This record gives sequence, structure tokens and C-alpha cells, in this order.
Amino acid sequence: MTTEKNSGGKGIWFLLAGLVVVNLLLGFFLAPRHVALVHAPIFQFPNFFAFLGVPGTWLPAHVTFTWLVMVLLVVGSVVATRALKAVPGPLQNFAEVVLEAFFSLLEQMIGKQGRHFLPLVGTVGLFILTSNLLGNLPGFQAPTANWNTTVALALTVFVWYNYAGIRKHGLVGYLKHFCGPIWWLAVPMFIIEFIGHCARPVSLSIRLFGNIFGEESVIAILLSLSWLVMPYMIWLGIMLPLSLFTAAVQTFVFIMLTMVYIAGAVEEGHEAEQH
Amino acid sequence: MPDEEPSVLRQLTRLSTIGITLVAATAIGLAIGYWLDRWIGTSPWLTMVFTLFGIAAGFLNLFRDLGLVRRTWR
Repeated sequence: MTTEKNSGGKGIWFLLAGLVVVNLLLGFFLAPRHVALVHAPIFQFPNFFAFLGVPGTWLPAHVTFTWLVMVLLVVGSVVATRALKAVPGPLQNFAEVVLEAFFSLLEQMIGKQGRHFLPLVGTVGLFILTSNLLGNLPGFQAPTANWNTTVALALTVFVWYNYAGIRKHGLVGYLKHFCGPIWWLAVPMFIIEFIGHCARPVSLSIRLFGNIFGEESVIAILLSLSWLVMPYMIWLGIMLPLSLFTAAVQTFVFIMLTMVYIAGAVEEGHEAEQH
Repeated sequence: MPDEEPSVLRQLTRLSTIGITLVAATAIGLAIGYWLDRWIGTSPWLTMVFTLFGIAAGFLNLFRDLGLVRRTWR
């Protein structure tokens, strides 16, 4: 009686309406009654560091996911560089592109001596990018969504750029840059510069942690609203592209600031940076 | 040298640090003063002095970043 096309068009609407009804019923009976900010991580170890005084029955998720990111990066780089060829395969080609991007950024930001800082900047950048992207998979947690991880990264950067500055200018010469040009203002200037330098790792770590943790919290709240279709659609359509973008941008900002700090510590004409 | 022609990216990253650095410098000055006060026992004074130092450090960073941008945008 009815045509094929007509019934097919109606069928889609019936399917959608049924889906919404089923979701409403499921949500009514099964939806979590609390907002779960921390979803259950799927990669976790029992606490085998209990003899060292680590509390809890499980190791904290950001530690185990840090190990996961480390394993991914180490295995990836070993596989990419195991058999180097003059005509590179796809994996070696990708690694070369990444390395060239880091080299050009370093030379653009720091100058000729920028290549010496590839171990720090490359490791930090790849680690942050991998862990930010890992957090988008369901069941995985980004290690950078925990303040401890980002503080460790920022303190590494802090120690490294101060060490680079001291090795470049000598301890006295490096500390002399802190004191400013006017001799009777040297002591307050030194204190002010010291506080300003201490604020750098704080701002670095808080920015990265805040962005990634906030994005994960928004997604968790969105998905725990109810078991409806719409939150998943919003997640797939809006939050997932947004969080991929955030992951790349936060990685970029972190390594750019790292390079700015290194450049400020290492530069020859230190005064040009100061005023 | 990169100082002659700082890229737009460098300026943008420096500009993006202004807000957090201003707050972080003030908070660190306050924390240092508070710890020194508890250590030495000169209760309100070092907290006040180091908070002022922290505010000064935050504004110094702010002016430095703005000055860098203004110099290159001219």
C-alpha cells in the first residue's frame, strides 16, 4: 500500500523516537545519582609500593598513565629509529617531520645554540601531547590532568633553564642579571626577580593542569547528566574537537614558554630582553 | 638573533602568560613572607613586605611583556 520510500522515511523517525524513549527509561532507572568527576581508569596497578609508604590499595591513576605514556613514547621512538634508511619508511618519515619541526622552532626561538635544548623541549612536548591526546579516549585519563604531573614538568623546565643560564654566564654573571642596572636597587631587585622567576613554574603548571582538568571535568559532567542521546552527540560533535584543539594548543604553549625562558636565560645581550 | 624580529607566536605566548603570572607572583611573595614570618617570628611585617615585593614582581613582568610587544609592534 505505502511506497518503500515513504515507509523508510517514517521508520527513521520511529527509530529515533524509540531510541529517545529507551534512553529516557534507561536514564531514569540506571543513571548515576552523583556527578562522577573521575571515571574509572582502565589501566591501573595494585599498590605494590605499599612498603614505601604509598597509601591506598591502587596506585594513583596519573602515575600509571604516566608510565603508559612513557612506554608508548619509548616503544614508538625505538621502532621508528631501529632500522634507519636513506629512503625512510612512513614511521621514520613521521619521526623526521616531528624532529624537523622541533629543530626549526628551537632555532627560531633560541638561536644557533637552540639545538642543544632538543632533549628537554622535545621530550616535554611529546610527553604532554601524547598524554593530552590519551585523555580523550574513553576510560583513559590524561596524566596532565593532575597537578602533580604538571608541577614535575614545570620544575624540570625551571631547573634546566636556570642551569643553562648558569653554565652560559657563570654563577656570578647569571645572578648579576637579577640585580638590575642600578646598584643601590640591587637587593630589592634581586628579591623581585627571584619572586618573578619562582612564579614561572607555578603559572606553567597551573595553566596546563587547569586546561586539561577543566576540559575533562566538563566532559564528565556532560556525560553524567543523564543517559540521553544528546550528551553523547554534544561530546562527539563539540567537546571532542575542542579537546583535541586544546591538547595541541596547550602543548604548543608549554614548549613555547619553555623556549622563551631558555632564550631569556641564555641570550648574550641579556639587557635587550630586560628593557 | 631572535630579538631583532620576534615572531608573532612568541609575542602571543608571552602575552598569554600575563594574567597567571601576575597572580602567581603575588601569591608566591605572600607565601615567602608568611613562611619567613613563622620562621623568624616577626609576625605581620615580613608578610607585608614580601607581598609588596610579589606585587612588584608581577607588575614588573607585566610591564616587561607589554614593553616587548610595544617595541615590536611599532
